[in-house]
Amino acid sequence: MSENTQAAKAAKASAATFGGKGLNLGIAVAAVVTVAGIGLWIMQLTGGLVQTNMRNLDSWGLYITMFMFLVGLSAGGLIISSVPRAFGMKGFGGISKVAVWTSICCTVLAIGFVVVDLGQPLRLWELFAYSNLGSPLMWDIIVLATYLVLSIVYLWATLRAEAGKVSNTALRVVSVIALVCAVLVHSVTAWIFGLQQAHEFWHTALLAPWFVSSALVCGTALVLVVVIALRRVGYLELDQAYVVKLVKMLGAFVLVDLYFFGCDLLTAGFPGGSGAEVVTMLVSGPLAPFFWVEIVGCALAAVVCFVPKLRTNPLIVVASLLAIVGILCKRVQLLVGGFQIPNIDYAAPMSSLTVTDWTGGMAGAYQGMVYTPSPLEFGVVLGVVGLGALLLLVGLKFLPLRPPVEDVH
Amino acid sequence: MAAQRFGFVIDTKQCVGCHTCAVLCKSENNIPDGLWWNRILTDGGESIDAFGGSYQAASRTFIPMACQHCDNPACVKVCPVGATYKDPETGVVRQDFDKCIGCRMCMAACPYTGVRSFNWEEPQYSVDHTMGDADAPAHQKHVVEKCTMCWHRLAKGENPLCVDGCPAYARFWGDFNDPNSEVSRLIREREHMRLLEDRGTEPSVYYLV
Repeated sequence: MSENTQAAKAAKASAATFGGKGLNLGIAVAAVVTVAGIGLWIMQLTGGLVQTNMRNLDSWGLYITMFMFLVGLSAGGLIISSVPRAFGMKGFGGISKVAVWTSICCTVLAIGFVVVDLGQPLRLWELFAYSNLGSPLMWDIIVLATYLVLSIVYLWATLRAEAGKVSNTALRVVSVIALVCAVLVHSVTAWIFGLQQAHEFWHTALLAPWFVSSALVCGTALVLVVVIALRRVGYLELDQAYVVKLVKMLGAFVLVDLYFFGCDLLTAGFPGGSGAEVVTMLVSGPLAPFFWVEIVGCALAAVVCFVPKLRTNPLIVVASLLAIVGILCKRVQLLVGGFQIPNIDYAAPMSSLTVTDWTGGMAGAYQGMVYTPSPLEFGVVLGVVGLGALLLLVGLKFLPLRPPVEDVH
Repeated sequence: MAAQRFGFVIDTKQCVGCHTCAVLCKSENNIPDGLWWNRILTDGGESIDAFGGSYQAASRTFIPMACQHCDNPACVKVCPVGATYKDPETGVVRQDFDKCIGCRMCMAACPYTGVRSFNWEEPQYSVDHTMGDADAPAHQKHVVEKCTMCWHRLAKGENPLCVDGCPAYARFWGDFNDPNSEVSRLIREREHMRLLEDRGTEPSVYYLV
């Protein structure tokens, strides 16, 4: 017990001293980007969402894409640290606190992306006053908030457990609850899309488990990148065996995710008809670049994960990045793909507010991708990502997230 | 089930594709530039008014399309704050502009492409005075809008203006729950269809074919 306490103290002391000029510079840059992003967001609110490229027929865009993506990214950290604890298995060598911290940052970002997408953010209080508990969006708000609070509680409990103030049983209970909540968060996010009969591409029971698998892919990949980077700069030490264990998990998750994609494509395409349209749109249509980057990127990542010779640190980082980019491409396919096939495509009066590229009429609007983001949208996204970087770096600098010494080996 | 189920019958055999109902809707409700609550679609060629098919087998049908005031509306289920809701008395799907948070969940959920519109900017008008009925609700930036079934006119015992103003007498309005209403009689006697029946939304707009 006293060893634990000492270790925690040592960790705290060393955490406080971590980070030289580089980290401070990073924090400063992230802060500047965040402030610039807030400026752009205010510009978007005053000048109107007309400055984005979202329109009536493609009414969601990059923000909701990033929302899906960040909810997914938040999975890894929490699951990686809570699964071993919940099931009483051997863990991943004390990286759990850093991993949970990345989860918390990603969750904050996901919420941020919903907020910047709203037309009337000042009416957010209505969500609590007039909650329609039947709306999947309402479920998501509840589950995301719970998830954020639980992640913070879990991080706090981990720290207190290391200091001997919280029993391991209690920590295990918290980790089980957090794990259930993590699975729910991804399922409910999927249901925002999957429960809509309006979009054939979204309306599938597979969507929820698929969101969980995609979340595991990019979440694990993110933890790998962060951990390898932190080891490189000397923030923590970690035996390579743990890294390899993580990499193998990543490989398995990637394969499950690809398997789900295959199942979905086959089910949609086999009967022919309108489902085949969805397959064509992905494989050779306007979304083909995103489709193939995902498929090829994830396949390459899996190869690196499963061939022992290839599991070198640089290649692991490359594989992880490929997996993250692959899942981002998948989010783009899901979001844009949902709007790419209109249910009613008869020629109709169009204006600049009807659809992004309206000049060619209904037929012209769907020639390429129905939606591509505007510069302002990229700017606001950069700002929100800056906020995440700021949170992550400030956490690394000030929070006692480093592994206690005896956990390392 | 609502006590009444107000809705429309549109006779596609009579519709001449003149867009009068769309323009009336736009002026009656003072709808901002670039937005339409009611649009006339052409089931035919690639552009408005164009014929489809080939020489001597060409065809063209006009489909005026606005909110379908579904009996099982997808939009109402997903609105997180209840800003879009079904009026229990009349079955009209209503939209509370003051409540809408602008999340556009309803636009994603509605299967009827483009019947919901969003004010992407501060409403702009090409005329410098307010048009239409003084009782029609004011427009707000960054909220979702759609056909109100001329709620302000129903309150005064009048028909929706698109019905009264159709020069071809192709539009009818009434209560489908009342077997003696004109709309009930029309769908009893005439062949009809509804848009995207397979989605299970039970739209309250019937097209006579």
